Amino acid sequence: MIVCVAVVGHQNNPLYIQSFTEADDALKLHHIVHCSLDVIDERVNNPKKSGTTLNEAFLGLLYPTVNYKVYGYLTNTKVKFILVTTDLDVRDTDVRSFFRRFHAAYVDAVSNPFHVPGKKITSRTFAETVRDIVRSYVLN
Amino acid sequence: MIGVGKMKQYSNVLDKPLGKGKQEVSLSAFAFLFSELVQYNQTQVDNIAELERRLEDAGYAVGARVLELLCHREKGNRRETRLLGILSFVHSTVWKVLFGKVADSLEKGTEDEDEYMISEKELLVNRLLSNSFVNCKHSRNDCCVVDLRQTIDKGWIFTGSFPKDMGTFNSGAFAAGIVKGVLEGAGFPAVVTAHFVPIEGQQRPRTTILIKFSEEVLKRESSLG
Repeated sequence: MIVCVAVVGHQNNPLYIQSFTEADDALKLHHIVHCSLDVIDERVNNPKKSGTTLNEAFLGLLYPTVNYKVYGYLTNTKVKFILVTTDLDVRDTDVRSFFRRFHAAYVDAVSNPFHVPGKKITSRTFAETVRDIVRSYVLN
Repeated sequence: MIGVGKMKQYSNVLDKPLGKGKQEVSLSAFAFLFSELVQYNQTQVDNIAELERRLEDAGYAVGARVLELLCHREKGNRRETRLLGILSFVHSTVWKVLFGKVADSLEKGTEDEDEYMISEKELLVNRLLSNSFVNCKHSRNDCCVVDLRQTIDKGWIFTGSFPKDMGTFNSGAFAAGIVKGVLEGAGFPAVVTAHFVPIEGQQRPRTTILIKFSEEVLKRESSLG
């Protein structure tokens, strides 16, 4: 099940972090998200396929730790979405569709004219939508 | 955007959800909003350059959001890393979504490597703003008219004026701001300005948006090969 989602801005500043379990230490999850940013930077700056520039949005499995898997997604404006999950058998398509819906919610939140780009996302609607997406994903 | 694709049969027509509607806004609504924006900024500044800068800032905010929205809507999303890629994206996709058609032309500047121009015969925001003194309802003869021409009954609606000594005011600064927002959001910092280019045989000059990319963009572009 999904343990944590995070939105990180293009200067690696956190815009939204939400964890969905009370058992685990929230700080440890923040640390995991922070470490995964390094992996993203590495992937973006040194494209694995030489010859074609890496411009795919979904980055895939970033790195597996002891009991978590971390997935990444990069938008056109260098805003990163991080997903931390404890499921061991996650299908690629599921994660992609999760990120697509998450991207839709993010675009809705940013289109708010009162939202300052670069500041934290404080919209309650966004938080509720994300909670709904996570809940519907868990039931699969 | 979320939950798209759920269809149910409704027995009563009143229970049916409202349709999504066309993805467009009426021109008069936009014209009204834009004229209010110009008038509001007009009261706060005392020269033309400051007014253009404020319009550009407003456009910048719009551009940043438009970029996020369009990248999400476009299927098979690819992040643009090349200069020509992002320019053609602005020139066709962004223009189509905002103004309903692709821009008239995209040209490369001759004297500088880093200058590009998008030109339009009749930019929408410039069509709404007239620099002529015709049909001015003021008794003073030293003011221009902000008019809404395309209302349903094709009548003139007088919404405001600004004094003649403000010089030629180019409201294409708003469109220039939008382009700047899109480019900077995508990682291509640039200085974008709007200019009038007079053409013989046409009463109104053509509007050109001049894009000058910054140093680092050119360096990155040449290193990418």
